[in-house]
Amino acid sequence: MPGLPGGLLRGGLPLREGREAAGKWVGVGSTNDHADVLIVGAGTSAGVAARHLAEAGFKVVCLEQGAWVDPGNLPGNKPEYELAGSKNWHPDPNVRGRREDYPVDHSESDLPVWMYNGVGGSSVLYGGIWARALPSDFRVRTLDGVADDWPLTYEELLPYYQAVEREMAVSGLAGNPAYPPGFEPPQPAAPIHRTGRTMAEGMNRLGWHWWPGTNAIPTVNRGKEGQCVRYGICRMGCPEGAKSSTDVTHLPDAVTLGAKVITRARVARVTLDERGRANGAVYLRDGREHFQSASVVIMAAGGIGSPRLLLMSASGRFPAGLANSSGLVGKRLMLHPYAASVGIYEDDLENWLGPAGEHIGSMQFYESDPSRGFVRGAKWSLLPIAGPLEAAEKWTDPRSLSGEEFWGQGSAARMKSFVRMLQWHVVPEDLPEETNFVSLHPSLTDSDGLPAAKVHYRVSDNTRQIVDFNLARTLEAHEAAGAKKAWVAGRNFMTGHNTGTAKMGDDPATSVVDRFGRTHDVPNLYIIDASVFTTSTAVNPTATICALAKRTASYIASNAREQEVAA
Amino acid sequence: MTALDLSTEPGDASRARLAALADVLIPGGSGLPSAGDADVAGQWINRALTANPDLASAVAHALASPGAPEEALRDLRLRQRDVFERFAFAVAGAYFMNPAVRAALGYPGIAPRRLPAAEGEAEYYLEDEILAPVVDRGHIYRRVPA
Ligand SMILES: Cc1cc2nc3c(=O)[nH]c(=O)nc-3n(C[C@H](O)[C@H](O)[C@H](O)COP(=O)(O)OP(=O)(O)OC[C@H]3O[C@@H](n4cnc5c(N)ncnc54)[C@H](O)[C@@H]3O)c2cc1C
Ligand code: SF4
Repeated sequence: MPGLPGGLLRGGLPLREGREAAGKWVGVGSTNDHADVLIVGAGTSAGVAARHLAEAGFKVVCLEQGAWVDPGNLPGNKPEYELAGSKNWHPDPNVRGRREDYPVDHSESDLPVWMYNGVGGSSVLYGGIWARALPSDFRVRTLDGVADDWPLTYEELLPYYQAVEREMAVSGLAGNPAYPPGFEPPQPAAPIHRTGRTMAEGMNRLGWHWWPGTNAIPTVNRGKEGQCVRYGICRMGCPEGAKSSTDVTHLPDAVTLGAKVITRARVARVTLDERGRANGAVYLRDGREHFQSASVVIMAAGGIGSPRLLLMSASGRFPAGLANSSGLVGKRLMLHPYAASVGIYEDDLENWLGPAGEHIGSMQFYESDPSRGFVRGAKWSLLPIAGPLEAAEKWTDPRSLSGEEFWGQGSAARMKSFVRMLQWHVVPEDLPEETNFVSLHPSLTDSDGLPAAKVHYRVSDNTRQIVDFNLARTLEAHEAAGAKKAWVAGRNFMTGHNTGTAKMGDDPATSVVDRFGRTHDVPNLYIIDASVFTTSTAVNPTATICALAKRTASYIASNAREQEVAA
Repeated sequence: MTALDLSTEPGDASRARLAALADVLIPGGSGLPSAGDADVAGQWINRALTANPDLASAVAHALASPGAPEEALRDLRLRQRDVFERFAFAVAGAYFMNPAVRAALGYPGIAPRRLPAAEGEAEYYLEDEILAPVVDRGHIYRRVPA
């Protein structure tokens, strides 16, 4: 396995040296509270960067609007779990409506957006499905003549994928032929269960690709972080502390190494010195305004939160929003409008067993095939079904095409089929369009009086065609696997894959950040969250988010001496 | 329409009405109790609404819908599909929380519980070379020009 160049894995510089380089950044008159690196948010990407930079000796401060999760409060092992998952632990911030959840107006969007606002960010509620992007994902323009190439390649990102896969204790089976050789998850794969086995036999009949699930969910005990015990409710937070969310895997270590995570701290704007360098952030906590000074600022507020904050940080120098000389901040929002199909089978499939997480995945229709009439493709995941309410929704969702009334006479027989149900999720690639964007809401505000986000998003024709094609194929897969009945259970589900709103590219006129995540406009302002995706890929984004965050953190650590900072 | 106030228990009449409405949705059979027999209108609706108080207004709305239970729900669905769906969700959520129902549906325990994988379980499900055809077909990713 190739190592990181120059031993960057532990920060690029020997521990003390990193801090010494940063020590030179701190100007006369700075206080003890001054941060070498201020990270906005303490979510997924923030966790990866905070730990990396703390290990390298930097004084890191994270400002996070939410709180630490108390595992005892998570609902997954309580009888009310599915009801709590429809309110306090719902992935839609508008439904949760907690103080820390800034509202997101989606009245002009085909789907709402999902996220979690608290330490660990959206990784607290994610499914843990871990999927590297493919080499072709970084060359969309070259291969398919649409969208843009990324300013980096799969090979350049590879060492960072490998590093974060170890940090996130990714489990899976080596040798997946959908990837170039060398994808070797550090932990053994989870069982594919009766669910995966049943579907795998169908896929084999069709001659289609499938592979045991790869998830950031450890199958082997890691000591303090535990091992998956298969509750199957990962999307409501893991009560076992097994799923690799950064509030478990990264941030406690970062804190031990001296990083400070200030919770209930909502950043209102990132500030600049007279020369246009970022020098800190103003934040609101308990109704009072505070200032955190810093030498370097990293935005990690998520694909909606970061553009929102950049737009809120408009100034005389950047009237259209901070780091927005390209006009692309907030634009090119890509959301992966999910679709799902289900089948009812003969036998009890124990479809509630975790991890959830995917049991198996398929990349059969991932790569472009122009004969299909559209470009790009989709990934499929076979997921467990957390419980009876979720199973019932496969019938009752207004977008479900079950063709049968669920309630009333015969409902008992339909309920009895719950544990015999298999579901495929289809993740379509969503191409960037400037007409899909995030803006500041003209009147709606969060609990601190700051403007809410507004999402403007329409599913494009290409995306719709990808979904139609793939849903039809999943129905064929159900049939081949022996389903007695199969149907499209819904489409345009929200995903939490909120990408593209601060595009990465080489040209400052057509992108917001460079290949290392540094904004073209402000030399000491970086963005590391899902916003920077040049294209959305058709895989779940967290592997790539974490790898990019690791790469940017390594870059900052190893280039500390050359880093321009605020005076 | 005001939300149900859970601090003041709905009276017997409301509970009887709720049971009758819930029975229309879930009449039972095939070894499953009806919603009324499963005490949906008793402790389970209380617990469901405590876990998701946003559903209370839909339950109150359904309770206030006049007419015979079938008719009342048919009307509600026709006129206010969203309220009907939230009411049905609340009833189903309450029903599925009853341990007898959960067991009859084939779910273990009163809630998801720890079931660590057994030694060799991962290998067991991959027996008979089930992955061989996938591996034999070779790489399927698209090569990218250097
Ligand atoms: C239910 C669900 C399931 C998912 N499943 C998967 C999956 O299986 N696999 C996968 O790869 N991906 C999955 N995703 C997506 C994945 O979780 C996200 O893409 C990823 O976690 C985003 O990381 P991030 O660093 O960009 O943002 P986040 O992790 O969301 O972090 C942003 C943080 O910034 C904070 N913040 C925002 N604004 C401010 C402010 N003004 N001041 C202070 N703090 C602020 C937020 O509170 C939050 O903690 C899922 C997402 C959801 C919601
Ligand atoms: S299935 Fe595993 S990872 Fe998911 S919630 Fe349960 S123990 Fe946690």
